[in-house]
Amino acid sequence: SVPAASETTDLSHLINKLLAAGNADHKYVEFDFLINGQFLRVPLVTHIEMENISTEEVVEIEYVEKYMAPQPEECIFHDDWISSVQATEEWILTGCYDQTARIWSLEGKSIMTVAGHTEVVKDVAWVKQDSLSCLLLSASMDQTVLLWEWNVEKNKVKALHCCRGHAGSVDSIAVDCTRTKFCSGSWDKMLKIWSAVPTDEEDEMEEAANRPRKKQKTEQLGLTRTPLATLSGHTEAVSSVLWSDAEEICSASWDHTIKLWDAETGDVKSTLTGNKVFNSVSYSPLCRRLASGSTDRHIRLWDPRSKDGSLVLLSLTSHTGWVTSVKWSPTHEHQLISGSLDNIVKLWDTRSCKAPLYDLAAHEDKVLCVDWTEAGLLLSGGADNKLYCYRYPATASDVGA
Amino acid sequence: PPPAPRAASARNSVPCPPLTPLPSAPLQDIRNTVGNIPMEWYQDFPHIGYNLDGKKIYKPIRNKDELDMFLEKMENPDYWRTVQDKMTGADIKLTDEQVDLVHRLQKGQFGDVHFDPYEPAVDFFTHEVMIHPVTNRPADKRSFIPSLIEKEKVSKLVHAIKMGWIKPRKPKDDTPTYYDLWAHEDPNSILGRHKMHVPAPKMKLPGHEESYNPPPEYLLSEEEKLAWEQQEPAERKLNFMPQQYRCLRAVPAYSRFIHERFERCLDLYLCPRQRKMRVNVDPEDLIPKLPKPRDLQPFPTTQALVYRGHTSLVRCLSVSPSGQWLVSGSDDCTVRFWEVCTARCMKTLPVSGVVKSVAWNPNPTICLVAICVEQSVLLVNPCLGDKLLYGATDQLLESYVAPEEERVQPMQWVTANMEEHSKGVRLVVQHSKAVKQVTWHGKGDYFASVVSDNSNMQVLIHQTSKRWSQNPFRKSKGLVQCVLFHPIRPYFFVATQRYVRVYNLLKQELTKKLMTNCKWVSSMAIHPGGDNIICGSYDSKLAWFDLDLSTRPYQLLRHHKKALRSVAFHKHYPLFASGSDDGTVIVCHGMVYNDLLQNPLLVPVKVLKGHVLTLDLGVLDVLFHPTQPWVFSSGADGTVRLYT
Repeated sequence: SVPAASETTDLSHLINKLLAAGNADHKYVEFDFLINGQFLRVPLVTHIEMENISTEEVVEIEYVEKYMAPQPEECIFHDDWISSVQATEEWILTGCYDQTARIWSLEGKSIMTVAGHTEVVKDVAWVKQDSLSCLLLSASMDQTVLLWEWNVEKNKVKALHCCRGHAGSVDSIAVDCTRTKFCSGSWDKMLKIWSAVPTDEEDEMEEAANRPRKKQKTEQLGLTRTPLATLSGHTEAVSSVLWSDAEEICSASWDHTIKLWDAETGDVKSTLTGNKVFNSVSYSPLCRRLASGSTDRHIRLWDPRSKDGSLVLLSLTSHTGWVTSVKWSPTHEHQLISGSLDNIVKLWDTRSCKAPLYDLAAHEDKVLCVDWTEAGLLLSGGADNKLYCYRYPATASDVGA
Repeated sequence: PPPAPRAASARNSVPCPPLTPLPSAPLQDIRNTVGNIPMEWYQDFPHIGYNLDGKKIYKPIRNKDELDMFLEKMENPDYWRTVQDKMTGADIKLTDEQVDLVHRLQKGQFGDVHFDPYEPAVDFFTHEVMIHPVTNRPADKRSFIPSLIEKEKVSKLVHAIKMGWIKPRKPKDDTPTYYDLWAHEDPNSILGRHKMHVPAPKMKLPGHEESYNPPPEYLLSEEEKLAWEQQEPAERKLNFMPQQYRCLRAVPAYSRFIHERFERCLDLYLCPRQRKMRVNVDPEDLIPKLPKPRDLQPFPTTQALVYRGHTSLVRCLSVSPSGQWLVSGSDDCTVRFWEVCTARCMKTLPVSGVVKSVAWNPNPTICLVAICVEQSVLLVNPCLGDKLLYGATDQLLESYVAPEEERVQPMQWVTANMEEHSKGVRLVVQHSKAVKQVTWHGKGDYFASVVSDNSNMQVLIHQTSKRWSQNPFRKSKGLVQCVLFHPIRPYFFVATQRYVRVYNLLKQELTKKLMTNCKWVSSMAIHPGGDNIICGSYDSKLAWFDLDLSTRPYQLLRHHKKALRSVAFHKHYPLFASGSDDGTVIVCHGMVYNDLLQNPLLVPVKVLKGHVLTLDLGVLDVLFHPTQPWVFSSGADGTVRLYT
């Protein structure tokens, strides 16, 4: 038994003492404690009171090694606001308000500038990566999505396809797990599914009657591509899309709903209704939860399998502005990061919903995008033209009870 | 307690000798044998009875008249002791013993002279409980043998009780019964006035100053004493002078006691007392019952975004019909186009002067913004949003064919030159004087502009597709503040300083004249349903008109502390907002019901702060997002703020 007034540091000392007794060459480790899957953040007795845990029974306290703070690594300067970021093991791809997408190495070296859009680039995505060439996508406010091929060795970039069809700014794109299709969500309330496989043929575009074909050709960059399918159902702009499954698309919209679509048939499978505009949505296959950021201070967690469609599992509240982007950890089922208009990126653990694990307050202006790579790199870009990288050692070892 | 005396105390119960025998009876020779009968029976007879021998006893002769009687009374010394024997009728002279006896009896004394009623009493038995009984008689057998007769009686009773022939006695009800004498009395009758009894006013309880030894602060100083003495007795606050005494014993009699009692009595019976019927209303009840603001969600509550970039007052705002773009005009001679959701300035359009008003074309298929700059209205294609749309808009404007004959029109329509065209300006409508407001008709072809002029050329209506302007009014009805098109019907609202005139555009006549009750109207907005109008005024009032109801305001809201600059309605949500010089935006819930009998429900729900007061100006324009419950406000501090 431990004293009721003890806090995490006291408990941590206790565990360390016990471990040191058993193992002579034990080093001091900071621990965090979980009671019924909730992090202990206050003295034990207060926590027990808050959670209504019976004091008559034995309370099991689980201890895990404390997550280390993310270490800042790089700060990459851009020429304009950063609208989107996606990183792989080797490269970072960012979309920028100066109408370009940029490729950076992890060390922060500028490798390539992908220019071709006539408007702000709103979202970027990697499609395929080889040692020789990579395929990447950029969506822009000029209503097109461009599919680029980047030759790594020659460091040349070439627009393969120009995906036309949206009648508004394309705000979000997502590539499916087979890397052959992608989906785009636009301000024109539509979701469109496209093929991501480069071909040599040009899709037939229905002629705009009053526009000479020649002019259209000359304007174009790459071969025109038309959508495989169009999913309509939202009544307001679509702000975020993702593939939650091989055949399932999830989209968040300004009409206060998150819709789950069947990518094959194009039907709405279920609708989750909130009461605020959704800015961003993220899905974790590990815990099978959706996290949404909306135009209030809360990050809400949803169960996409729930049938009634309006069930908020949990809301994480600590931001003071709109939550512009959320991203689940690809390796840890409980952790996610969020960026907000209050200039702060927060690292959350769903087991501690009252307070985030860490606040990353480096940005001087609105945070617009965040990303989390499998290698444990946290990225955030914002309206201060800076992309911050953090190394986050996701240690989840030494779990005892 | 002392032991009860075994024998009754016999001290006072001395047996007296019987005192009944009349001393005269045995002495008298009993001759009359009639017995104890009323002697009146013999009144009419000469005899009075019979003697022992049966002979009549004759009444003695009584022939004395009154005079004789009197003389005898005067002369006979034994007259006072002579009585008549009723039985025989003879006069008997009482002896001295007999007279003495009569005297004693009259005094209530015993007849016997020698009887002493106060002899010392002799107890037969002592009152003390002795160890030996008085008698040695053994106790009766029956005292310890149960009685057979009683047993029989008891068994009979028990049997009767068992059989239910005898009911146990009902317990006696001890509670006293009362009767309400006035239960049936009519309270309105004369007797009912007792119910209206007004108790006499109570006298003030004595305070510290009335104490014989008051605290020093209650004692009067010399000046106060002087002032007290000089005051009229009726005007004095205290009708006595507080005084200090060493102890209660030293306090003298109060000289005004009788006087004061008398005055009190006068007060009590001369002062008419009647019940004043005071209206007893809980002030809470007077406040109208309004729903709680949190039940009226959604409405904007917090500041979400700040659109920074302007360097001077931002006078006007307009939002694209899709809600993606925001345009703001400022005193720094620029018009800026913003992306709503990120506060990104997408475009900056420098113009030649201060921008007084901007208006985005409400038609979603046309991408055109009207901007008031000095003496002209610029029609600008911002080239934002759908490429097809803004391309089509340009084509629409280019497809204009000038009419054959030149029509005389008050304004000049000029196509923008190349330099202006590259910036987005497509058409310029040149006015004679400075333009202060521009507003579109809902269809997006017509727009109206207001010129700050005092003539009849204040309001102009323009048609974009025909590049044609007209002046609808022949004469000026006052300084026009702002104009507005009805969203559905062909009505046109013109707000002058104190009135709002409603014109029917089809019939070309004045339909209504609304009295605003304000000194100077600053702004006006119309409910999307078209039946309600709000007017903001520079004397910090907001008037809500129900056009079906009356030409006077349905409600006048005075929430702002300073002049109102702008008012706005939301397109879908039941919300309206007002921006004021005090730097706040007040959002109100304004529910309009389809039921004509139900009046609109107006509830202020939120005060939004954020703008910094600059040059004594706060919020200059407010505007709702077309689809979300968000409100934009532009301020004198050069920022545009979005509240969500």
